[in-house]
Amino acid sequence: MGRSPSDLAVFIGKRLLQLVPVVFGIMILAFVFTHISTVNCSVWFPHASADTLSHCEAQFSQPILSQFWTYFVNFLGGNWGASVTGVAVYPAIATGVPATLELVFASLFLMIVIGIPLGVIAAQSAGRWGDHLVRIFYLTGWATPTYLGAVIAAIFLAPYLGLPSHGEYTSSPPPFPQYTHFSVIDAMIALNPHWTVDAFAHLLLPASVLAFINMGIATRMTRSSMLEVIPLDFVKSARMKGLSEFWVMYKHALRNALITTTTVLGVTAGGLLAGTVVIEEVFGWPGIGAYAYTSIGGGGAPPNFDGAVAVVVVFAVGVVIANLVADILYGVLDPRVEWR
Amino acid sequence: MTTPALSIDGLSIDYVVGAGRFHAVSDVSLDVESGHVVGIVGETGCGKSTLAQAIPRLLPEPPATIGGGRILFQGVDLVKVPRWKMPTIRGTGISMIFQEPLNSLNPAFRIYDQVAEAVHVRRARESRPGGLVRADGAPFDYSKLPAPRAGDTIAGHFIPGGVAQDAVHRRQVERAAGGTPSEVREVVLDYLKLVRINDPETILDLYPHELSGGMRQRIMIAMALCEKPSLLIADEPTSALDVTIQAQVLTLMKELIREVNTTILFISHDLGVIAETADELGVMYAGKLVEFGPVAEVFASPRHPYTKALLKAAPTRYKTDGPLLSIAGSVPNLSRPPPGCRFHPRCPIARPQCTVEPGPPLAPVAGAAPNHKSACYFPEEVPGIP
Repeated sequence: MGRSPSDLAVFIGKRLLQLVPVVFGIMILAFVFTHISTVNCSVWFPHASADTLSHCEAQFSQPILSQFWTYFVNFLGGNWGASVTGVAVYPAIATGVPATLELVFASLFLMIVIGIPLGVIAAQSAGRWGDHLVRIFYLTGWATPTYLGAVIAAIFLAPYLGLPSHGEYTSSPPPFPQYTHFSVIDAMIALNPHWTVDAFAHLLLPASVLAFINMGIATRMTRSSMLEVIPLDFVKSARMKGLSEFWVMYKHALRNALITTTTVLGVTAGGLLAGTVVIEEVFGWPGIGAYAYTSIGGGGAPPNFDGAVAVVVVFAVGVVIANLVADILYGVLDPRVEWR
Repeated sequence: MTTPALSIDGLSIDYVVGAGRFHAVSDVSLDVESGHVVGIVGETGCGKSTLAQAIPRLLPEPPATIGGGRILFQGVDLVKVPRWKMPTIRGTGISMIFQEPLNSLNPAFRIYDQVAEAVHVRRARESRPGGLVRADGAPFDYSKLPAPRAGDTIAGHFIPGGVAQDAVHRRQVERAAGGTPSEVREVVLDYLKLVRINDPETILDLYPHELSGGMRQRIMIAMALCEKPSLLIADEPTSALDVTIQAQVLTLMKELIREVNTTILFISHDLGVIAETADELGVMYAGKLVEFGPVAEVFASPRHPYTKALLKAAPTRYKTDGPLLSIAGSVPNLSRPPPGCRFHPRCPIARPQCTVEPGPPLAPVAGAAPNHKSACYFPEEVPGIP
C-alpha cells in the first residue's frame, strides 16, 4: 500500500462499496420510522378523492415488510414512488438536488474563505482582543437557531440590504433553459449577465445565513490546530528562512493545520444539509430541503411518505460522500497518510 | 581587533508563567568574533537554548520577555527591532539549525520546495536595492531596508498589493536573475551535494518523513547554508541523533566550518562536540555565563569551579576507574535563584562574600589568555580544587 494513483483508485472504490450497506440501512430506518404508525387515510387526507383514498388504503393496509419490499424493488428500478396524491418523487428530487448542492457549496465556500482566515487570525492573537472578537463572531453564529437566523435575515436584513429573499430568480422560471438546475450556472450558460447577477443576489442571503451558523466549526478547528502547529520547530525554521509572517502562517502552518480542519468540514457537510431544510423553506429555495419539509407534512401539506424516505436516503448519500471527499483530501493534504 | 559579528551585552530573558518569573538568562555578555566558532555548553535548563533562540527573536513573547540588554548584530540592536522587521534579518543574516531534525522540516512539503524557498529568499534579498547583500562582504545597511509592506502585518492580510507583492516580486527576481526553476534546482542540488548527500536527485522529490534523522539534519544544514548567512546558530544540532549518525553529522559540520567561511554559535551539552568544533567556549550555569575563553585553555585549565566540576563529570570513552563523578547538590530553581554567585551552594571554595548580590562579574583572569574570562572571585584557586 502506498500513495500511487492506483492505490487511490482502490481506496475510493472500497469506500464507494461501503456506501451500499450504509444506504440500505438508512433506507430501512427511514422507511420503518415513516411507516410504523397506523396510517388512517381518511383522516390524513380529508380532501382526497374516493379513488385516491382506496388507493391509499390498499397501499398502507399491507404488512410493513411487504410495503418495504415493494418500495425497495421500485427504488432500484428507478421508480422512487409518488405522493398519495400522485405527484412523482423522482423528478422533484432530481431538480431539487442541484439547487440544494448550490446552496451547500456556496456556504461551504464562504465558510472556507472567511472561517479559516478568521481561525488563523484568532490563533495568531490567541488570548488578545482579535481572538475575542473572532470568538464573539462565530459563537453568535453557532448559538443562533437556524430558523431564527433565517427569519431575521429574510425579514429584516433582506429589505435593509436590498437583497431578494425568495427563490432562485426574480421571476420563476427565468426566460432561458435550465440545463443544470444550478441557478447561477444556468444563467451563465445563457450568457445573460442580468440574470447571473440576479441569481447571485438570490443565493447570497440563504448561503450567508447557512455559512454564518456553521462557520464556528471551521474557525474553531483552524484556531485550535493552528495553536498546535505554531509551536512546532518547522514553523520556527520557516521563520528562520526569513519568510514574512504571512507566508509562515498561511503556507507553512496553515498547510498542516488544514489537515484536521478538512476532516471536520467533511463532517460539517451533514450539518449544512440539515440546515438546508429550514433555510430553503424560509427563503423559498426550490431544493430538496424544502421538499423534505413539505414531505413530512410541514406547512400543512399532506404527508408524502415515499418522498420523505427518498429525501432521507439522498441526504444520507450526501453525508457519506462528503466524508469520503474529506478522507481523500486528508490523504492528499498529509503526505504521511497511506491510502488503504 | 575587528568588530565582532555578534555582540551580546547584559542580556536578560525571563519567562513569565502565571505569577512566577523564571530568570532563564541573566545578564549574559558575549562576543562572537567574525569567522569564529563559539561553543556554549551547560546543563539542560541552563538557558543556552533560550539564549540561542533569543538572538533571532524566535522566542514566543509572551511568555518570554527580554528584561534588558542588547544583541548587536552588524550594528543593529536586535532587541529594539520591531517584530515585523525581523524576517529581513533572519535567513540571509542569521540562520539556525535546530535540535530536532524530525520536527524542523515541514512534513507537508517536498524537500525541494523547502530548500528552494530558502534560495528564493536569498535571491529576492540580493536583487532588492539596499537589501542584505553580504555574499561579497558588503556591509549590511539596516537603514536602507524597504519600508514595511502591507502584507507584513496582521491587519494587512487582505490589503491588495501587500501579499501579492511578494509573489510578483519573486517572479521579477527570477526573470531578472535568469533564475528558471531548473536553475534553482541546480542550486539546490549543489547545496545537497555540499552536505554530502549521495543521491540528491532522488532526495529532492521525497517528503521529510521518508528520510532518516541524520539525512533530515543534513538538509536542515543545507537549507541554512544556502542563504549564505553571516551568522549560523546551531542549537544542539547533534543531540537528538543516535551516536553513529551524530559522529557523521559532526564530521560534516567540522568540514563545512572549514569550507564555508561563516561565524557559528554552537550550542551543545556535549563537551566533546564543542572540543572538536569550537574556537572559543562559553560555559553557562543557571542562566549566567560563568566562564568564557579559548577552547583549549578552558579545557586545560578551567578558571571557574563549575567548569572544573563539569569537566570532571564528563564521561570519557574508556572510563574504568569507578563510577562517574557528579556535582553535589542540584541545579537551583530559576524562579528564586540563590543570591550572589548562583553556584555558591554547590561550590567547594565558596566564602561568605559569594552570597552577596550582585555576585561576581565576568572578568578577565589574571595570568591567562587575554580573552579568558571567569565569573568567580577566586579564579586563581580553581586549579587547586582536587
